[in-house]
Amino acid sequence: MVSTMQSVCDVPAIHNAGPKAASFNPYADNGGSIVAIAGNDFAIIASDTRLSSGFSVYTREQSKLFKLSDTTVLGATGCWCDTLTLTRILEARMQMYLHEHQKCMSTAAVAQMLSTMMYYKRFFPYYISNILAGLDDEGKGCIYSYDVIGHCEKAKFRAGGSAGALLQPLLDNQIGLKNMENVDVQTINVEKALAVIKDVFISAAERDIYTGDSILIKVITKDGIRDENFPLRRD
Amino acid sequence: MPDSEMVNHKISSVTNKNCVRDICLASHDVITDAGPLLTISEKISILSYNGGAMVAMKGKECVAIAADKRFGIQAQTLSTNFEKMFQMGPRMYLGLPGLATDTQTCHSKLRFRLNLYELKENRHIHPKTFAAMVSNFLYERRFGPYFVEPVIAGLDPVNFTPYVCNMDLIGCINEPEDFVVGGTCSEQLYGMCEVLWEPDLSPDDLFEKISQALVNACDRDAISGWGAVVHIIERDKITTRHLKTRMD
Amino acid sequence: MCTFSRAPITTGTSVLGIKFDGGVAIAADILGSYGSLARFRDCPRIIKVNKNIILGAGGDYADYQYLKDIIEQKIIDDECQDDGFHLKPKSLHCWLTRVLYNRRSKFDPFWTNFIVGGIQDGETFLGTVDKLGTAYEDMHIATGYGAYIALPLMRDALEKNPDLDMRQAQELLVKCLEVLYYRDARSFPKVSLI
Repeated sequence: MVSTMQSVCDVPAIHNAGPKAASFNPYADNGGSIVAIAGNDFAIIASDTRLSSGFSVYTREQSKLFKLSDTTVLGATGCWCDTLTLTRILEARMQMYLHEHQKCMSTAAVAQMLSTMMYYKRFFPYYISNILAGLDDEGKGCIYSYDVIGHCEKAKFRAGGSAGALLQPLLDNQIGLKNMENVDVQTINVEKALAVIKDVFISAAERDIYTGDSILIKVITKDGIRDENFPLRRD
Repeated sequence: MPDSEMVNHKISSVTNKNCVRDICLASHDVITDAGPLLTISEKISILSYNGGAMVAMKGKECVAIAADKRFGIQAQTLSTNFEKMFQMGPRMYLGLPGLATDTQTCHSKLRFRLNLYELKENRHIHPKTFAAMVSNFLYERRFGPYFVEPVIAGLDPVNFTPYVCNMDLIGCINEPEDFVVGGTCSEQLYGMCEVLWEPDLSPDDLFEKISQALVNACDRDAISGWGAVVHIIERDKITTRHLKTRMD
Repeated sequence: MCTFSRAPITTGTSVLGIKFDGGVAIAADILGSYGSLARFRDCPRIIKVNKNIILGAGGDYADYQYLKDIIEQKIIDDECQDDGFHLKPKSLHCWLTRVLYNRRSKFDPFWTNFIVGGIQDGETFLGTVDKLGTAYEDMHIATGYGAYIALPLMRDALEKNPDLDMRQAQELLVKCLEVLYYRDARSFPKVSLI
């Protein structure tokens, strides 16, 4: 950039001398994957627990799931420092909503607010892949997924993060029953969803170095949120 | 390997090539990319100029190789019956996903080398030897490579053991025990194959697995799909099937 | 943008931190490197913040000193209040996260990384923050070259013996710093360990 400017302005080359400032990249890719599946009366969201950068594993036990309310959980991967910041602001704004309206934010309301908050940083984005899972006002499971600048889409199942591309076609096939013939479309139950989640994470850990160590699963039902752990390969 | 039982129903296939034109879509769901937003370092490569997907799998005394049929220039689809797998022996196929012009150039140049080999040796080439030939051919252009990532699938002409391999564009060979993938949706294919594949698949099961892997992976790639071809190579026959897929 | 982001000048290399039975330990050498020159031979970069927090820093030494002064002032203010409340390790860790993140967002980062250790409500705490504001907690943390050389040694030791006592933890850190001195050209044989 500097050299282009100089050639245009015809500045003497001596201005280029001196120590070169180390370039600063405000973003880091700290990896991690998330899978979420919604059913009729539940939503499941799972993330791996590896926090890494390049070829080094920072920690093997970093949950990337954030419980926002009794019916809403956010999964966030990508630039970890942005995730920390976003979730802190998100939690604060949910508190403000609680005190202002005397009620907890619904999942749909959180979903919309998250989109707005991401778009607010349109020109210096939070570098995060967000997936929001929860129960809607009728108690049905719902999933919202986002891009880095706040585009939001409601879905029934979604994979995101570093192994998103590996996992999504599998969910299409096994949960969405895409490219299947003669199948009776029935609603998915918790056991099936959990089995698929474990399977797809095992596969992702085989091929994605940023996914591994273990999975943390949160099962959201009307009775509350249940945690489950499952070990993955650690290499 | 996965511990839960995965559902696998028959997917539609037509053995007649002419049927490809009347494609029916099972469903019209909107696909939005899951967004690998953390791969901005991934530059637009010449390898993904035309698009395309390829996968090969080992089974019990059989191998399968499958590819999509699309030919396009970036996002614009130009043709839906582009050939990128070539029979290079009675029980061997070579797939060349990547830049379409190099697919064709490499095919003819390798065909030439293979003909010379067969004239000189008066026998069919082993897949492993052929892989070495392809690798050698690509490494000759180490600093100005052909933009193809070859996939080879075949049975040994002597003892009929299955063989699959793939390589990068300058000929680094990878010979795994299970499956190989190539093309623009290799990530999606890895995800699919890693779950679906299991050891000692029969030819029919192998067809189901490879088809499901390819079709579902292509559905999540904007520049692959538009029909697919599967070759199942067995000791006594090669079955070629053309798959109906969604055409978007 | 170029006017803001600087390069680090006088730097410290790896910092190591480990939890043991009943406490935490942080270790680093005391060399202030000036590029490749081993210029300043007495730059301790581990401090006792108050009676329940210790802090170690790597990266630009000037940035560390600037933040150290602010933190020390916070402790003095705490003392002056004399209300029985003291800064806790988690609070300091969180505060550092925000300070470093805000500076990175201005494209003018503090070119440092910190390891915060301490005891809060009877529990040991060990956390780290880097120049972007990336923060996490773990049983053992190493920054810089330590992440490649010392961390595997520490993980290995903790896997074999999950309940280290203070003496074992100290021995482990000294051994790690020794190995780092062999391979890290920016390291120094004199260390500080708290």
